[in-house]
Amino acid sequence: MHPGNVRKTPELSVIVIAYNNELYIEEALESLDEQTFDDMEVVVVNDASTDRTGEIIDQFVSTRPKFRAIHLSRNSGGCSVPRNTGIANSSGRYIMFLDGDDWYAKDACELMVNAIKRTGSDFVSGQVVRTNTYEIWYHKNIYSVERTNINIREFPELIFDSLSVNKIYKRSFLEKHNLRFPEGIHYEDIVFTGKAYFLAESISIIPKPIYYWRVVEKAAVKSITNRRSEIHNFKHRLTAHRLLDQFLIDNGDSIYLLYKNNKFLRHDLKLYVNDYHKFDEEYKSQFHEYIREYLHERINKYEFAKLAEDSRIMYYLLYIDDREAFQDYLSYVQGKPTKEDRLRFNGDYYYFWSAKSPESDQKFLKINDPKITYAIQDISLAGDMFRIKATAVMHSAARGEYSYCWRLKHKQTGTIIDPQSVDNDVFVFDLTDVELGNYLLVLFVNHMGISHERKVRASEISGFPNIQTRNHKRTISTHISPKNFVGLKLEPTKKWDKIKWMVRRRALKTRSKQPSRFFSQKAVELIRAGIRKLPIRSNWVLFESHMGKQYSDNPKYIYEELLKTDKHLKFIWSFENPDAAHVPGPAIKVKRGSLKHYYYMTRAKYWVDNQGMAHLAPKRKGQIYLQTWHGTPLKKMGIDQNDISHGKGLTRLKYQVSAWDYFITSNRYSTEIFKKAFLYKGTILETGYPRNDILVKKPSEVCEKVRKHFNISPGKRVVLFAPTFRDWNDYSYYKTFRDIQLLSRQVDDNTIILLRLHYLLAAKASGIKLPENVMDASLYPDIQELCLITDILITDYSSVMFDFAVLRRPIVLYCYDLEEYLYRRGTYFDIIEHAPGPVCRTIEEVASMIQTPESLAKYHEALNSFAQTFGSLEDGHASERVIEKVFE
Amino acid sequence: MSKKNIVFVLNDYNGHGGAQRVAAILANEFSNDGHHVAVLSINEQKNQPSYFAEHIPVFVLHKDGYRAPVPKSLYSNLKALKIRTVARELNRRRQLSKRRKDVIRFFERYGDETVYVIVVQVWGMQWLTPLLYKPNIKIIGQSHESYEASKNSQRYKRILRYYRQVSKFLLLTEKDAEKFKKDGFTNTGVMYNPTAFRVYNDPRKLYANKTVVSMGRLVDGKGFDVLIKAFARVSHEIPEWKLDIYGDGPEKESLQTLIDVLNMKNVIHLKGTTSKPQEVLSSSSFFVLASEAEGLPMSLIEAQSCGLPCISTDCAPGIREIINEYEDGLIAPVGDVDVLARHIRRLAKNEQLFYSYSQNAYRHSEKFEQKHIRDQWYKLFEELEER
Repeated sequence: MHPGNVRKTPELSVIVIAYNNELYIEEALESLDEQTFDDMEVVVVNDASTDRTGEIIDQFVSTRPKFRAIHLSRNSGGCSVPRNTGIANSSGRYIMFLDGDDWYAKDACELMVNAIKRTGSDFVSGQVVRTNTYEIWYHKNIYSVERTNINIREFPELIFDSLSVNKIYKRSFLEKHNLRFPEGIHYEDIVFTGKAYFLAESISIIPKPIYYWRVVEKAAVKSITNRRSEIHNFKHRLTAHRLLDQFLIDNGDSIYLLYKNNKFLRHDLKLYVNDYHKFDEEYKSQFHEYIREYLHERINKYEFAKLAEDSRIMYYLLYIDDREAFQDYLSYVQGKPTKEDRLRFNGDYYYFWSAKSPESDQKFLKINDPKITYAIQDISLAGDMFRIKATAVMHSAARGEYSYCWRLKHKQTGTIIDPQSVDNDVFVFDLTDVELGNYLLVLFVNHMGISHERKVRASEISGFPNIQTRNHKRTISTHISPKNFVGLKLEPTKKWDKIKWMVRRRALKTRSKQPSRFFSQKAVELIRAGIRKLPIRSNWVLFESHMGKQYSDNPKYIYEELLKTDKHLKFIWSFENPDAAHVPGPAIKVKRGSLKHYYYMTRAKYWVDNQGMAHLAPKRKGQIYLQTWHGTPLKKMGIDQNDISHGKGLTRLKYQVSAWDYFITSNRYSTEIFKKAFLYKGTILETGYPRNDILVKKPSEVCEKVRKHFNISPGKRVVLFAPTFRDWNDYSYYKTFRDIQLLSRQVDDNTIILLRLHYLLAAKASGIKLPENVMDASLYPDIQELCLITDILITDYSSVMFDFAVLRRPIVLYCYDLEEYLYRRGTYFDIIEHAPGPVCRTIEEVASMIQTPESLAKYHEALNSFAQTFGSLEDGHASERVIEKVFE
Repeated sequence: MSKKNIVFVLNDYNGHGGAQRVAAILANEFSNDGHHVAVLSINEQKNQPSYFAEHIPVFVLHKDGYRAPVPKSLYSNLKALKIRTVARELNRRRQLSKRRKDVIRFFERYGDETVYVIVVQVWGMQWLTPLLYKPNIKIIGQSHESYEASKNSQRYKRILRYYRQVSKFLLLTEKDAEKFKKDGFTNTGVMYNPTAFRVYNDPRKLYANKTVVSMGRLVDGKGFDVLIKAFARVSHEIPEWKLDIYGDGPEKESLQTLIDVLNMKNVIHLKGTTSKPQEVLSSSSFFVLASEAEGLPMSLIEAQSCGLPCISTDCAPGIREIINEYEDGLIAPVGDVDVLARHIRRLAKNEQLFYSYSQNAYRHSEKFEQKHIRDQWYKLFEELEER
């Protein structure tokens, strides 16, 4: 050997592997040849390519002493053997790898050698650039900043980058741990890099582009990572992961399995699930088997909890191996019909039902926004009529459970235009004289009382025509907004009208940003201060019931009794919506919270209400506040109530109570409780409730009026179903609806059920299709009148039972959540012990009670004793007594 | 095919940009086939000749030279007491409504006949909105830049506002059409620009020219400095080859300095503008484009149409619709001098490879040929007619 040929050991060995890369291999090698770093050797391992790769390699290395070629005689089927061969046949102090279809940045070697020498780390990683998007691999999480001498245990996110090619390794590090690429499997990087991370003492990261990863879209010959539609592929990936899992356990790093699993779920498994539809039946079945096995071995179902909704649901279904549900979910996500109706609501949230999932696991199947799609077939606009033929589907929900309607919503004011007629999926809108502006077409879906709104996107319907109609007043055009929403534009036709319209639109815009005020805030304050200086009018009486929501309860009856007297009083009634309320007699109706209301309230001598309105206007000396309250207390109130016993709640309560001059109770029991619960020191009027006078007198005109209102013929039996308000659960009425369905099926033909939801929920009942024998009485103003025609009352914890007992007619208590109610709200006495009727736990029990009058008869004594305790004072003259005491 | 009414709508019909050139090529083709072609121009440049054939009628909206400024809000400027801005805006609106009436009158001449309106730039749409609702008028909106480029400018908002309801929204490449589809457009389509010329050259003759050529405005962003550096890198390995750069612009001096500094005066030449691109290309070997960002680079298409293999940076989303990597050209990352140099060297040194690329280049350029594109337009007209 010539002395001049003695080669010293190079600093760096770069190992290139190639298999059928004839198009790219020369570029890869050129990129190495042109490196700014000198002291290196390149070992090119050809894995028995069948194209010209071998030729090109040989030609290239022949003129370059730094390059050497090794040709394997048999294709190894993977990257491990070639790379290990390269390691064995090189001698450099540091090692890097390059795949034959990628290339290095020109200064890659220099930067990497410099970094590993400078830091002394076991290995150093650099940035990878993907050549389709030129994005940097894992840039945001890992490769954006320089990290020197860290350990993966300090920064476990590193595990997401399982590439072996963007790293420079100390040969001594590889030798010390005998770290090589596992042969005979694919996805060797997962194992190799995973082990390297946990075996290394220190790692560094340089945020500079080192490696160009060639991404060829629509490649004819897919690289290993692309050929996923083969089951062996999947098995290999799981094998690789199992190897790594075992290593972590053996190495004492099992707590990092969580991070490794997270990567598996977010990255690896996702690739397969995305391609699931390409699998044949056999592959699908094997896939399910393998993944179920792996998930149960290694992964705890709570690791799914933090994933995005679709991953979470898919992986959980794979975990419990419900294949039908899994396939249905894939269909659901793509908007295709599912084999079963799986979209269900459990009272709290929507979830995707699986037969194999226990109820406690429903949270893994939670769906935040149900998928609703729609199709619009015909759109026409002629004259003032806008017509669409449209259908909507709430995916995977039972068809009978939801209904839908299309509406036009004014973009600025939010005004809704309902269709004038709906027939067979054809919705017709009459636009004569509607307000001008831009309207969006909105789909409203009502599912079991829950409302879903969707704006219509032009891209989800097939074609939205451009139509315009105009008359001398205004022009209507179909319109697609810049954000792709579909709707109508109504503009004035004439020029002068246009200008007026522009001004008005601007006013609307500014006004919609602040609440509409005729006067500014300051002006209102001034006016109010002025009002406060005016004297009190001793013949003015202000009434309010249930915070202005109804004309009902004790205030109503006191008012109507006052009308019968000859006192010359001026009556004012406060309502939230004065126009909707019907008040007999000369009373003035005012809008609650308005200046007018403030004026009357500040000047009226008498205040009469049943909840507490002291915060609406300051009470002055000389004003008399009659608090009628609204029921005998069963549930805990005042300071006995959980959230009012301290702090702000207590202060507010005290403020209200201190304004009361008179307080009406209907029995001794209530008096005691109220005094304590409200810390009330004023006068108590233990007179019985004015509102119950009607239950004693039972006026026949009222009975007839109510029967007529609901169209109930005289012979029918009336059952009133009046559940109370559960303030901890907004969706309790969902259960109510189910119960109502069941009940309606069980009762006989002669029975009518009146459904009365608590007034705070009354609005929800509208729009639901109720069975024939059930009527919605939630918005009927006065429940006392309903009681008059009711034969049997079903309630739970509502104070209506105390009033109804006066009639001595059967009461059934339906307490399906008694324990919960007791826990949340609490009661003053044991309801079961003192019940006026049977206490049922299920709706079936209730139904059977109603259908068998003999069983109800057994409770007659209990009912009597109940009525005695709570309604003994009710003799029909309570209102008179109150008026006598309060109004001289 | 029956004679069709076609109207081109442009900002300045007699400007000298790519948009006008392409519109003129198409207009002249259509007119030669006997269709009734007219041009509606929002403004006109003073005393400039146009590419359009003499006999094609041109109707200029703003004959008085008024150029509409960008729309401004009245209310906020009133509140801020910017009277002049308010006055200008009021005038703009007045002009707009007047011109819209002119446009309506212009189209009334066609009566009920179908008219195809090709809106070359989205700026013109604001005068055409009343036409959206006339069933006989089919508006075809075009965007001559890539999705990203329009997103970074005012034009994106205008596209969202005006192009949602047009009969067809044409992009230059498939990739751009996909991106707009993702933004919810249901009316996207792709239409390549036609090349002004297409001529077959014998690959051997081309190779013998031993000339690398590039063309374009000498401005920032066209990457000529990258090209010069790349060529300088490999020049010593291919000493018989030279690089000719055609075009003019503000960067000319600094580019010449760069050439001198790299000692490349004898092989790299800045040749100035040319009025005979076809000849220049036919006397070169292959074309290199080193731009940072383009819509659909016509220079590449024209080079291909003369049988020149092309090397380009990955400057346009649709670049791979022009260059088929490893078949008729090569692609390098933007700004990557090393890879560009490698590609230049490869093509220059491999004669056989060059021949195969050249044949493929000419063959693949067919899809940009004038007659081919013209037929695509006719197909589009038929499709819109049927709706």
